[in-house]
Amino acid sequence: MAVVPVPLPSPKMAVEKRRPAVVPVAGFTDSGRPTVSRTAAGAESEEDFLRQVGVTEMLRAALLKVLEARPEEPIAFLAHYFENMGLRSPANGGAGEPPGQLLLQQQRLGRALWHLRLAHHSQRTAFNNNVSVAYECLSAGGRKKKPGLDGRTYSELLKRICRDSEAPEEVVAPLLRKIQCRDHEAVPLGVFRAGMRTCFVLLEFVARAGALYQLLEDPGLAAADRRVGQAVLDTLEGALQAGDSDAAAPARYLEAGSRLGPDSLALAMDRAVVARRPGVPMTREEFLEKAAALFIAKVKPVG
Amino acid sequence: MLSPERLALPDYEYLAQQHVLTYMEDAVCQLLENKEDISQYGIARFFTEYFNSVCQGTHILFREFSFIQATPHNRASFLRAFWRCFRTVGKNGDLLTMKEYHCLLQLLCPDFPLELTQKAARIVLMDDAMDCLMSFSDFLFAFQIQFYYSEFLESVAAIYQDLLSGKNPNTVIVPTSSSGQHRQRPALGEASMLEGVEASLFYQCLENLCDRHKYSCPPPALVKEVLSNVQRLTFYGFLVALSKHHGINQALGALPDKGDLMHDPAMDEELERLLVQVPGLVNSVSASPEASCLPSRTPPRVASPWRPLHHSRKVDAESDGSTEETDESET
Repeated sequence: MAVVPVPLPSPKMAVEKRRPAVVPVAGFTDSGRPTVSRTAAGAESEEDFLRQVGVTEMLRAALLKVLEARPEEPIAFLAHYFENMGLRSPANGGAGEPPGQLLLQQQRLGRALWHLRLAHHSQRTAFNNNVSVAYECLSAGGRKKKPGLDGRTYSELLKRICRDSEAPEEVVAPLLRKIQCRDHEAVPLGVFRAGMRTCFVLLEFVARAGALYQLLEDPGLAAADRRVGQAVLDTLEGALQAGDSDAAAPARYLEAGSRLGPDSLALAMDRAVVARRPGVPMTREEFLEKAAALFIAKVKPVG
Repeated sequence: MLSPERLALPDYEYLAQQHVLTYMEDAVCQLLENKEDISQYGIARFFTEYFNSVCQGTHILFREFSFIQATPHNRASFLRAFWRCFRTVGKNGDLLTMKEYHCLLQLLCPDFPLELTQKAARIVLMDDAMDCLMSFSDFLFAFQIQFYYSEFLESVAAIYQDLLSGKNPNTVIVPTSSSGQHRQRPALGEASMLEGVEASLFYQCLENLCDRHKYSCPPPALVKEVLSNVQRLTFYGFLVALSKHHGINQALGALPDKGDLMHDPAMDEELERLLVQVPGLVNSVSASPEASCLPSRTPPRVASPWRPLHHSRKVDAESDGSTEETDESET
């Protein structure tokens, strides 16, 4: 029997080592390590062992998170979840000097971001829970830091969320100006939650607007017909205004939805093409900026 | 983005659909077998690596057969691992027998059942001459269908047998085609002409099967495509057509198209890099490294200077799905 072929996607030595070694896997034994210390486990039952070392609790929490977030790829989600957990506990890996204040701050932001992204904002309960956890992460007191979340950290987090998305900076900048707090201000949970939700909704709105633009775009020109683009934006604005009327909420949503239906949209676009003369083509940036401005106009400023 | 279907499922169904509990359970079993590792690295790190390896598909290496076939993802990962490990066999143009392919499979999965390899070989060799040589790609694509859809194929075989013996297995009433129901067993003379079953009737039964089958099935639209090209067909004819259908290969998602089977520049680079590190092999870099781990018997070369790949692709395009024996030109 020869050596098992080496060319595997990315040989995860550690993982392969733990497979029950039914095949003599010569290449994978790490001679530097003591082979087995199974005696420690001795007579205790496996269940007790799992409970004692905390596996049971850990998996229960992980499973609850999976069910709460319902990710599309739960296995990748779990890998991510445990990775984050491993980074958090100081016992693992980080056997060095204690991290500096700046690094600590970065870690906190990273952790908060991770929690915020666990569930889509439309899953209201899960998202709200995660927002609360993120808020706690950020406002935990340190050696020099008083507990509570300041405006600087909050703004930093908002910036990070926007930067990681595909939305262009100038498109989201007006929103940030509207919902940011002053650096030294304390940010209450309510403001934090509203800010996070608004930010995520806007990013999705921009992404959808981008998809919409793609449909309008003339691939040859890398730009869209201004008349059509403007007609779409006007329809969008009309729909958003329908949402402002005095009628009860469900009726308003229906009204807005019907205005954005494919038939009325097509009608508006058709009318625009017939009525006006072609102007300067509209670029993607312009379209996104105008679409986002419609949304941002509805956002109430903080304070 | 939103996916209301997934979000609307009851908890338990969502977990079952994604096989979450299968992997969690397996993670715990692995952890119990390797208790010493967690004292060194910590539990979170153990789970991180486990779930990462599941995502990458390396988790099935050297595992027991029952685990390898436990989920569609495991099956696809195994097919991919088999292809990536032994790709060079195909690249060198070596032809191997069923037993030799079985040895290769056992290098990755020690208790891999011989029966499954035999069934795959039967697709390539059309049920006769089981000790014939097969090209890597012929075997791989036949094996893929047999391994990934094994439960489905078992049901198909039963349906086929029923149809052949004149029964209609689904009790579907098919007013237009009565041939399946009332056909007498053909007399010997016309046996060659009336071999197999009628394709349209066969499809109706399979469509019904796909609807209620709880294991993976090939996409019904593609099955229909396969069956709509012919009037009648045999069971193995059907399997051959499935294994050669590139749409089904794509839908399964484990292997590249046949033309790209030997093409993997990233892996080639990696191989080169690794080979340089092995002092004994440096001189024979041009030869494949895997050749050394094949069973000792070197199969006789059939056509001595093997044709380079880009030539053979042209031939591929012309070959139809009806090759009865391993065709050299298809390697």
